[in-house]
Amino acid sequence: MSEAAVNPSEGISKIFRQPGRFIVPLSLVLLVGTATLLQPSFLSINNIQDILTQAAPLALVVLGQAFVILVRGLDLSVASLMASAAVLATAFNATSDAMIPVIFLVTIVVSAGVGLINGLLVTKRNVSPFLATLAMMIVLQGIRFYYTQGAPSGSLPEGFRVLGAGRLAGIPVNMLVFFFFFCILGWLLHKSSFGRKIYITGGNPKSANLVGIHADRVTIICYVICSVMAGIAGLFLVGFVGTVDNWVGRGYELDAIVACVLGGIMLTGGKGTLWGAATGALILILIFNIVIILGLPVQAQLIIKGIIIIFVAGLFSRSTQT
Amino acid sequence: MAYSKSRYLVRRLQLDPSLIIVILLLAIVVISGFVLSDRFGTTRNFMNVLEQSSGLGFASIGQAMVVIVGGIDLSIGAVVTASTIFMAAIVDLHPGLMIPMIFGTLLFGAMIGFCNGYITIKTGVHPLIVTLGTASILNGSVLIYTLQPTGGVPYWFEEFAYGRIWNVPISGLVMLLCFALVWLFLRYFQAGRAFYAVGGNPEAARLSGIQSNRIILLAYSASGFFAALAGVYFVSRTGVGDPRIGDPITLASITPVIIGGLILGGGKGNVLGVLLGVILISLLSNLLNYMNISTFIQWVIQGVIIIIAVSVYVHKGKKL
Amino acid sequence: MIRLDGISKIFPGVKSLDNVTFESVAGEVHALLGENGAGKSTLIKTVSGAYIPDEGTIHFDGKKRKWNSPKEAKDAGIHIIYQELVLFHELSVAENIFIGKAPLTRFGTIDYKTMYERADEILDRLGHHINVQALVKSLSVADQQMVEIAKALVGETKLLVLDEPTAVISGREAELLFERIKLLRDEGVCIIYISHRLEEIFSIADRVTVLKDGQLVGTRSIEELDRDQLVGMMVGRELKDIFPPKRIPSLEAAPVLTVRNLCALPKVRDVSFDLHAGEILGIAGLVGAGRSEVAHAVFGSIPRSSGTVSLGSEDFNTPSPRASIDRGLGFLTEDRKEEGLMMLLDTSANISAPVLPEFTTATGLDRAHEIQVARDEIDRFRIAVPGPESGVSKLSGGNQQKVLFGRWTRACRRVLILDEPTRGIDVGAKVEIYEIIRQLADDGLGILLISSELPEIVGLCTRVLVMREGFVTGEVEGSRIVEETIMRYATAERESAALDVA
Repeated sequence: MSEAAVNPSEGISKIFRQPGRFIVPLSLVLLVGTATLLQPSFLSINNIQDILTQAAPLALVVLGQAFVILVRGLDLSVASLMASAAVLATAFNATSDAMIPVIFLVTIVVSAGVGLINGLLVTKRNVSPFLATLAMMIVLQGIRFYYTQGAPSGSLPEGFRVLGAGRLAGIPVNMLVFFFFFCILGWLLHKSSFGRKIYITGGNPKSANLVGIHADRVTIICYVICSVMAGIAGLFLVGFVGTVDNWVGRGYELDAIVACVLGGIMLTGGKGTLWGAATGALILILIFNIVIILGLPVQAQLIIKGIIIIFVAGLFSRSTQT
Repeated sequence: MAYSKSRYLVRRLQLDPSLIIVILLLAIVVISGFVLSDRFGTTRNFMNVLEQSSGLGFASIGQAMVVIVGGIDLSIGAVVTASTIFMAAIVDLHPGLMIPMIFGTLLFGAMIGFCNGYITIKTGVHPLIVTLGTASILNGSVLIYTLQPTGGVPYWFEEFAYGRIWNVPISGLVMLLCFALVWLFLRYFQAGRAFYAVGGNPEAARLSGIQSNRIILLAYSASGFFAALAGVYFVSRTGVGDPRIGDPITLASITPVIIGGLILGGGKGNVLGVLLGVILISLLSNLLNYMNISTFIQWVIQGVIIIIAVSVYVHKGKKL
Repeated sequence: MIRLDGISKIFPGVKSLDNVTFESVAGEVHALLGENGAGKSTLIKTVSGAYIPDEGTIHFDGKKRKWNSPKEAKDAGIHIIYQELVLFHELSVAENIFIGKAPLTRFGTIDYKTMYERADEILDRLGHHINVQALVKSLSVADQQMVEIAKALVGETKLLVLDEPTAVISGREAELLFERIKLLRDEGVCIIYISHRLEEIFSIADRVTVLKDGQLVGTRSIEELDRDQLVGMMVGRELKDIFPPKRIPSLEAAPVLTVRNLCALPKVRDVSFDLHAGEILGIAGLVGAGRSEVAHAVFGSIPRSSGTVSLGSEDFNTPSPRASIDRGLGFLTEDRKEEGLMMLLDTSANISAPVLPEFTTATGLDRAHEIQVARDEIDRFRIAVPGPESGVSKLSGGNQQKVLFGRWTRACRRVLILDEPTRGIDVGAKVEIYEIIRQLADDGLGILLISSELPEIVGLCTRVLVMREGFVTGEVEGSRIVEETIMRYATAERESAALDVA
């Protein structure tokens, strides 16, 4: 007799005591099950490819947001930065694919600058992360609109469509890119000593300083990572959508936070995994898909997001209290 | 020892550096206005600014009350939007319900605020997340109902926004009245003082026998109420319910609160500072319009103001 | 006046109160004694309605009561003055005194004029003058405490509880406080007084109740007891059994830590001392005297205003915790929850934190090595934890403290600063910690021991610095290390102390 079979009631009570550990896999299974029941073609290769393509930009943002939340922060400027990166990309008015690396490089540098400012405000000026990034959001928005005068012109190299919506050996290109970043950042967070510093800083910033960890520096780097991921995600999203407008990525700041919360990253910092965050993003995209399968209006996604974030955050805050 | 009220007031003003900063900034804006534009310094313009600032003013009062008890309300914009739709859609069908619907809308807003407070207390989730969640739910519901401005109210209702008494806009008067009432409440009522106690030291408030949960519920309900009042004002101004009108209000409502010297985390500040902050922002935007500076640049300025304000009134240990 | 019968209160993992019976009558000062973690605070919070007991009954003023909130207890006439002052810094003195029960005008608004006048009257009654309109944040700690006491005089207080009221004030202020307390007692108020300073108990209490590890040891009249008996009740054994033997270190070699004219204003003023290898140097003083700040300034976790610190022959004047750790300095901080442990991480991560670079390889963190090191420390200090990879949040205070000892002995080679190393842990664990400290000193570390528990300072140190208001007011050595001498320096004015030393 296996151990698990001995006392099923204990397993169940464990789920209630530690909902965090079970909610992610359980809801994944439930969601895929529901979707397949509603629409048998849901599990077709084609549909899975579509879903992954759709999920990749959000997942990229979520990876970065996870770092910031782990150090007790929050970045509300990611969506605005995504759109700004998209507008910045069109500013080159490039037609040749050879310009793509340049565009990426410039985007990464600019995004890193934005993250640096966010991080410095939060650590050196003690501005609340919420206010600092909210202000950054509107500053970026103002600069972007001023530059485009409300309507972006400019064009993107063709190659962006391939990056955003193309496939390589049947796998969405943007998913491959996501996987690349997932591995790098996963190593950084879970295997390197810098990752340990992130958990120490997020769990207890005062102690972090007293064991010789430069908590401010760690926090700033997390903001930079977050902004860079958002900038890159903006480029992939514009490749996916195909057209640039001033609101590319609108709503992604909330989506990214919801995905992190769903994936078990504690908003009070110091707890959660990158794996969880990525799964959270996948769950969110699945929910959006089910909304569409059900024939509900797209706006219903907003309602569902709102309910999820309150409900799940409530569940987590309860489970950590005991 | 004898205590006179006037002496107390003077002492308070002397002690509060943030108020002095706001007044200084106001003076700078007004003086630059007189210098830079000949249309700025007219009674007529000032009255227009007072009228235009009402929406922001209502929203900021509510935000201020929530911030004082240590919370934040990111659903204000969504409540404004939902209120305009709620009011305009129903009045469009039943024009006779115009007057009752004003109160109905305010009640509607207060109820949403109550839900925010209730969820915050019961789940222990950070108010930032809770109100972001309710904002998403409200916006989703509104956008399912309509993507375009909709509904309508009787023409005479625009008097609330545009009407004048002795040349002073009614909406501006109502806003000033609201600020005065909230100031009186926070200053002269036990429950009002309890706002500061709960925001300043929640554990101490509990040990002092203050019923913190009630105070928090009251603050969020008030926030919803005033957001709905802002909604009523916008319906009066535009005559319709608009599913996008509240979007910029959430952030906008925080700016005067920060400039007015309140700190996120709570327990400190004076709504008079918030009123001055509202007037400062409105005058600044008015002046920039006269100087033909684009709205987009004004966004940038708003963001920079927030950052400077929070950096100047930097506060140890209190973070949100 | 109040009677508690068979009270128990259980927290996850700890039985904080176990079948405690306690009774106090009107017009007496009843001292409640016990070491940290003995259950005093829990008992008080039960009386005040902040905790609801799991078992047992409360009778107050002749009736059986069950309070669901502090407000209900307060309305019944119970007033608690907590160790952490329950004040609102952004409100005025008068508003704090009348919080929740301000005099009202006939319109239901707060009558500020009457409130100020009555606040003045109350402070007059206490013989203490403060501007009642001033914001509380502008007051000194002693003034803030008077505001706390003034709060008790609003309305009818039948039972007044004071939780370590003298922890933050000077001797003279304390005497004034005792006068007020006796005044209130003679008015018929029942007073429960919590402290662990025995001198105070003998000068103010009528009866004493001692708690230990959540259980009642006994209630006695103060006349029946002498000092040693009381200590025996608190500790459960003789002092000399607790502390390992002292060893006088050799002071001939150069000191491992030299501090000269160290200032970190406003809390540390002109502090100088030497610390030798193998020495246990104590820093005593009241709470707020600047002891912890000296440690932080040496370690580099608060900025220094001036002065020099050198480790061995190495000058060390660009301080930061990282630089200190790299030079072989360790700092076990006072508040293990806020400034010590990472509650969300496992035991091994808590131990390796200061020496992470040691475990860093090209492919990342060397987890196997980290776990092995943690296992060594767990064995060495006999930490009762399932393994290196289990969490620290559910450990007992003593085991948590041992995890921190594991951390710092791993990290530090020369000097270990210990700030309140036995706070909130039970007696058995204390004894173990004392032995660890002794062992570390014997192994050649210089130990700087900061403690509020004088017996600890007296029992372990071979030399003691006493601080008051940021200054070192005295240094005692050898046989002069007794509680009375230390207390005299700790509460003395600087001038008189200086004279005394001379």
